[in-house]
Amino acid sequence: MTEVTLSKVVKKYGQHQAVHGIDLDIQDGEFVVLVGPSGCGKSTTLRMIAGLEDISGGDVTIGGRVVNDLPPRERNISMVFQNYALYPHMTVRENLGFSLKIAKRPEQEIVKAVDEAAGILGLDELMDRKPAALSGGQRQRVAMGRAIVRHPDVFLFDEPLSNLDAKLRTQMRVEIKKLHQKVESTIIYVTHDQVEAMTLADRIVLMRDGHIVQVGTPLELFNRPVDTFVATFIGSPPMNLVDGVVQGETIVLNGSISVPLPVTAGPLTNGQAVKFGFRADNLMPIGHAVEEEGAVHELDLSVTLTEPLGTETLLFTNLAGVEVQAKMFNPRPVTPGEQLQFRLMLDKCHVFDAKSGQAVRG
Amino acid sequence: MDRNQSHRNRRRVLKTLHLTALFLTMMIICIPGLWIVLNSFRPTVEIMAKPPVWVPSFTLDHYRAMFAGAGEGGVPVFSYFRNSLIVSVTSTLIAILIGMSGGYAFARYRFKGKNGYFVGLMLFRAVPGVALSLPLFIVFAKVGIIDTHFGLILAYVAMNVPFTIWLTDGFFRQIPKELHEAAEIDGCTRWQAFWQVEFPVARSGVASAAIFAFLTSWNEFALASQLTRSVGSKTMPVGLLDFTAEFTINWGGMCALAVLMIVPALILTFIVQKHLIAGLTFGGVKG
Amino acid sequence: MTRRRLPEWLVLLLPAIIVIAAVVLIPLLFSLYSSFTPYKLTRPSTLWKWVGTYNYEKILSDAKFWAAFGRTVLFLTIVLNVELLLGLGIALMMNKVTWGQRTLRTILMFPMMFSPILVGFQFKFIFNDNIGLVNNALQSMGFNVALPWLVDGKLAMFSIMFAEIWMSTSVFAILILAGLFAMPRDPLEAAKVDGCTPWQSFRHITLPFLMPFIYIAMTIRSLDVARAYDIVQIMTGGGPARRTELLWTLMSRTGYVDARMGLANAMGYVSILLSILFTIYFFRKLSAARAELGMAG
Ligand SMILES: Nc1ncnc2c1ncn2[C@@H]1O[C@H](COP(=O)(O)OP(=O)(O)O)[C@@H](O)[C@H]1O
Ligand SMILES: [Mg+2]
Repeated sequence: MTEVTLSKVVKKYGQHQAVHGIDLDIQDGEFVVLVGPSGCGKSTTLRMIAGLEDISGGDVTIGGRVVNDLPPRERNISMVFQNYALYPHMTVRENLGFSLKIAKRPEQEIVKAVDEAAGILGLDELMDRKPAALSGGQRQRVAMGRAIVRHPDVFLFDEPLSNLDAKLRTQMRVEIKKLHQKVESTIIYVTHDQVEAMTLADRIVLMRDGHIVQVGTPLELFNRPVDTFVATFIGSPPMNLVDGVVQGETIVLNGSISVPLPVTAGPLTNGQAVKFGFRADNLMPIGHAVEEEGAVHELDLSVTLTEPLGTETLLFTNLAGVEVQAKMFNPRPVTPGEQLQFRLMLDKCHVFDAKSGQAVRG
Repeated sequence: MDRNQSHRNRRRVLKTLHLTALFLTMMIICIPGLWIVLNSFRPTVEIMAKPPVWVPSFTLDHYRAMFAGAGEGGVPVFSYFRNSLIVSVTSTLIAILIGMSGGYAFARYRFKGKNGYFVGLMLFRAVPGVALSLPLFIVFAKVGIIDTHFGLILAYVAMNVPFTIWLTDGFFRQIPKELHEAAEIDGCTRWQAFWQVEFPVARSGVASAAIFAFLTSWNEFALASQLTRSVGSKTMPVGLLDFTAEFTINWGGMCALAVLMIVPALILTFIVQKHLIAGLTFGGVKG
Repeated sequence: MTRRRLPEWLVLLLPAIIVIAAVVLIPLLFSLYSSFTPYKLTRPSTLWKWVGTYNYEKILSDAKFWAAFGRTVLFLTIVLNVELLLGLGIALMMNKVTWGQRTLRTILMFPMMFSPILVGFQFKFIFNDNIGLVNNALQSMGFNVALPWLVDGKLAMFSIMFAEIWMSTSVFAILILAGLFAMPRDPLEAAKVDGCTPWQSFRHITLPFLMPFIYIAMTIRSLDVARAYDIVQIMTGGGPARRTELLWTLMSRTGYVDARMGLANAMGYVSILLSILFTIYFFRKLSAARAELGMAG
């Protein structure tokens, strides 16, 4: 069994503290994605799990064993690096078999394991090439192959797709997911791209400035963000946020428009400054909306800009002096300046405390 | 139409100038060396002839005399060649090992005062050989390693280490650190990761550093002329002096020894010439 | 449990530090000490007599020393500048060549393989007033002269510089050529479209890009400017009548011929300082040029 546990893990670079005592339990076979803006300490965390970075405080446990001071080779992990880190002087075959060769496994076993990995990733044609003669996507595959050859307890990925072009990235994302279903090992995956995090993860760990902000399934983070940071980081386009003040059963947005308090909102005091949040999907022009149950508030707004995406069109409008985005399903052409009537799905709206940014939820 | 014509003319003139200048440059580079080679095959009378003889005749006398060990001056060329070879090869190997380890430290570790250490090491290389030869002679004499291979090897190792550090530092820096990290995750110790991955990748850089170290030792004179005295330890650059007498110089014999000195350096350099240039530039520019 | 150990980087650097300390630092400290004594090789007891800065005062008030010092600085200045300009010229010419560039580059590396002492002998031979190639050629062309290349003071200085430049220009040419190869094409093409003359695009685009390469060459050269000693020692030995005396030949004469070690070591220190100044100067320039181009590591 290979759970990975971090408890109060700290990383300091001299004066600068990159990771502030994080706690995390990762189950056996789970696909966990560490996501967050660049510089938030994701790589550092991953590298501490790998044993490439010393741990300044706390404990890292892999499979019930504290590994704080073990070198990487004694942790039975494998890692895929952002720039692949293929050995340039070895052929693909040698790259794949290197770890087994170092472990002094018998020749036959190496050949078998390498061929198997090559088969899974479709590398058979490329076995005798050097990395320099491979395309970006092929290198990426070899890097993954090198990771799976050893049947490690834990796979670590550090932004493995960020050097690929958009199309290839989507394709490799699917392959990584398939790979996980096949090998059933624990995977810890670092990315700064929330789409990757949403599509791949069993559980997302959202980090910021060396702290964990929220841990949960992709839908939990999408539907119940704990604060405005999560709300704007997860989901595309980011959640609309409008300043407001609580007044009885309504929120007055920027002193002009008032909307009813969502029923989901938690205890609020009269006069409390809040941020009112909703996703573009929940502000739709009447006649072009997805029909849903629940409380609705209607608004007249004028469109300033449109972004047709095919199945839907993003509408930029102005709500109480703030630019917000709305979505038009089954779109028709809209000209800027056009006045439309929108329905706001109140049950899907969020209220955050203006000062702390924390969600206020019932 | 007219302007096109004049531009075309100008280009033709420039091209001619360019080729002429290039040709002259190459001549100036080549002729002195060729002159040495040529004269090593000419009889002494012809070298000394007045008025000059321009159509050379061919003789192997100088080589025969040189390899006979006696005869013309009786310069023990074999011993000198062997000394040069032993000293240069050994000191190069040791300097590369030591320099590589230092270069690796500069490329891979962060520590306080790194730049200071680096420039400090280079400054030791800048100490003129003549200025060092006096005190080194006295110290070596005290320790009793004057006139030995060991002494000269030691001196050349110290002389070559700084520059080797410079070059290998540049090369190791080219190698992303993820490479040894990947190797460590694949089960290597740091030591294995170096020899299995980083060293093979930096091989061409190490080769070029080795050539420079070798050429420096092979060609060095100021130190060798003081630290070696006898046939058992004198190197070829010092041996060249054997062809000079009080007022005369045996030009033919000297040219023959010169050829013997140049040929190994030439062969070695041509084998790795591609790496040589890469070594110099990567080591320096991207450092 | 935590035993204090040397940091890894220090362990890796230690062999280098030890060798250099043993072979360079200790003798230099010894010579620093002896430069404050009237040490003569022939009389070992003189090593224990402290004379303070006597030797330094003596050389600093010695016209011969100052002449040699000035000549050395002049020699280095001329030689390094000419080498740089020639190297730049050769590199630019080679860069334009469309055929046989590899061969030409190989030829260019030729002088780098020559021992300085060999270069000395080679040019002593070529500039020989009686049987040298130069005079023979001049005479065969009908000039009835035998120019005293190594005997006349000015001509001897010229011959020495010629030999030195022949030996060391390649370093500049090759490094600058490597810089030209590494140069991105876009800025040059953009400049052409913007209407720059060849000279303008060289001055404002090519040259700034080449600066780090030039400084590397300078730094590498500054590490062994003293190799010129070998050449001069062979070609003229500082003569005629000290007209080509450089710091290094003067020092070696003082030390080895006159056996006045203390005095020679004092001169040695001046020459070491000179070399170090050159090196530090170019190292600085190199770092600055790198930083400017964002190549710092
Ligand atoms: N070797 C290092 N020395 C000092 N600071 C570092 C080092 N590596 C990373 N950091 C700092 O630690 C923080 C987290 O870095 P990292 O984990 O790489 O972020 P990311 O989430 O983008 O992967 C950053 O502020 C970075 O500047
Ligand atoms: Mg990162």
